[in-house]
Amino acid sequence: MYGKGGIGKSTIVSNIAAALSENGKTIIVMGCDPKSDMTRNLIGKRIPTVLDLFRSKGADKMEPEDVVFKGFNGVYCIEAGGPEPGVGCAGRGVITAVDMLDRLGVFNDIEPDTVIYDVLGDVVCGGFAMPLRQGLADDVYIVTTCDPMAIYAANNICKGIKRFANRSAVTLGGIIYNGRSVVDEPSIVEGLADRLGTKVLGRVPMSLLVPRAELRRKTVIEYAPDSEIADTFRDLATAICENKDRVMPDPLSDDELDEINEEIEVLLKEREEN
Amino acid sequence: MDGGKFFGAFRASSGITDAVVLNHVPVGCNWGAAIFKTTSNQFDMRHACTVMHEREIVFGGEDALREALIRADELYDTPLLLVIAGDAPSIIGDDVEAVVNSVTLDAEVMWMEAAGFKGSMMDGYEEALLRLAGLMKESETIQGSVNLIGFSPDDFKVDADVKEIKQLLLDAGVEVNTVISKCSLEEFRRAPAAELNVVLGQGTLLAEQMKKELGLPYLKMDYPYGLDGTAHFVNAISEELGTGHEPEFDIEPFKRVYLYLHELYGTPVSVIGDFHAEAMANFLDGELGFNVEVSARNEDDYFAFEEEVRNSNTTILFGSSFEQNIAETLNIPLIRFCYPVFDNVCVYDDAPYAGFRGAVCLTEAIINTVMSYGGMNK
Repeated sequence: MYGKGGIGKSTIVSNIAAALSENGKTIIVMGCDPKSDMTRNLIGKRIPTVLDLFRSKGADKMEPEDVVFKGFNGVYCIEAGGPEPGVGCAGRGVITAVDMLDRLGVFNDIEPDTVIYDVLGDVVCGGFAMPLRQGLADDVYIVTTCDPMAIYAANNICKGIKRFANRSAVTLGGIIYNGRSVVDEPSIVEGLADRLGTKVLGRVPMSLLVPRAELRRKTVIEYAPDSEIADTFRDLATAICENKDRVMPDPLSDDELDEINEEIEVLLKEREEN
Repeated sequence: MDGGKFFGAFRASSGITDAVVLNHVPVGCNWGAAIFKTTSNQFDMRHACTVMHEREIVFGGEDALREALIRADELYDTPLLLVIAGDAPSIIGDDVEAVVNSVTLDAEVMWMEAAGFKGSMMDGYEEALLRLAGLMKESETIQGSVNLIGFSPDDFKVDADVKEIKQLLLDAGVEVNTVISKCSLEEFRRAPAAELNVVLGQGTLLAEQMKKELGLPYLKMDYPYGLDGTAHFVNAISEELGTGHEPEFDIEPFKRVYLYLHELYGTPVSVIGDFHAEAMANFLDGELGFNVEVSARNEDDYFAFEEEVRNSNTTILFGSSFEQNIAETLNIPLIRFCYPVFDNVCVYDDAPYAGFRGAVCLTEAIINTVMSYGGMNK
């Protein structure tokens, strides 16, 4: 799962993982963001990260149980971790963490049905493209709102996917639309998906239940299992699992992005006038 | 073929002979620097390393650097620690200056950034000297003295060559004040006392800066190989300083070895190297009567050089240890004369290649190499 920072990836990943676990699936979620808080809603607290253990114990003394924790409904949770802001190399950290997990045989031992990587913001460097390489991920799903910068980031991620097209089998599975931005107009994101050659797999509407659940460090699947928003996440999880349309995206040019921005501007003006 | 900016900075810094160089680099870069010392001068291992591993790359190397600075200061009795930040800390953005400023040590600490990918070895050498210039102190001018700029402590034959050049200049009434970079910290500090800077191949930026800031003039000279090259070197410096001294040159030893050269007249040879290469080619061509087929600098296209040599009549190759393979492939002898030489030693400091005596030693080495090679294929 990729998308601009703060776009709601962690919320969506944790809820999809929780939804999939309700069907008896074995799920691993791995946070690939130095802030290491994606799994908090599944476990109820922060967990030690792979890189924390690498730093304190060293690679040779790490055990799978040091870094893999069971959360809500048996979802396996891992956080890659990373350096403090402003030092070291977070991108290299993702590569190191994935390498450690590989050496520990975590994926082979657990034999998951699905692994979901929650990757930091944009594909800023080779490290954050790690899940796209070496066959780690099969499909990429991009979360975006109608905000121009979110769309810009989504397009950049597609450039990353295309770059690795010749080296791995990773493809774009689709777009997940988060409708919590100032302009909430699905047609904008559908237009983006069309141009990229993919489709919108689901829309996550604004819901007060999401922040309420997160304040209690829970997913809405756990906090409000009978709510409409919980069903939205269940539907999204199903759509992703049943998705057969995987494409190599055709990233937009700057001019094409400007056209989308103009559409957004028109919508903003209409909103101001009303 | 070039060692990149890091090795240039390392070579310039190592030339402060009582300083300790602290390489802030992953283990491999330091290994390269250390292993070369084991053949060039294993009595002069004055460098430490932060030995960055994956942990330092991910979390930053600042803690490792701080610890290494403290330990190097404890372990070495040195007035100066020179920190060189190489590729990895430059990529991840370690704040070397902040770390250096955060510790209080007995030794003075100076740091420089020298990522290998940011320039050539010569760039690293030039920039390191500019950085080191901050160590210099205002000094009263010593009339008739010069600084020699351009040396590195791991140049092939450097000890013998410096000794020879110093003596030659002394015989001409010129005192060598500081050899840069092959001098003590104290000698380096007093470099401004010289009346003239003599630049041999590299170090021009330092000479320019000293001219601008101290009014110290400089003269760019070829490396003094051969009789003519040496005479020109000494005479030009004497003239520039106006010593009024007419140096007398003893060329008798060269005459003795010259007899052996008749058979080699017109021998096709090729030369490659750093700034020494051009002076060497001039000596081989102008004084020994060899026919220089291909002459190239390290920074030139090496594959093109190889191809040109292969397509030439070259029967002797002059270069560094890097030319082993091409010499073996062509089944011709290799005379090593410039950096890096890691498959020959030059421990004795009285058999130079520079100067008049150097012309004898060099010519003797050429003749012996050819005679012992067992005949040439071409």
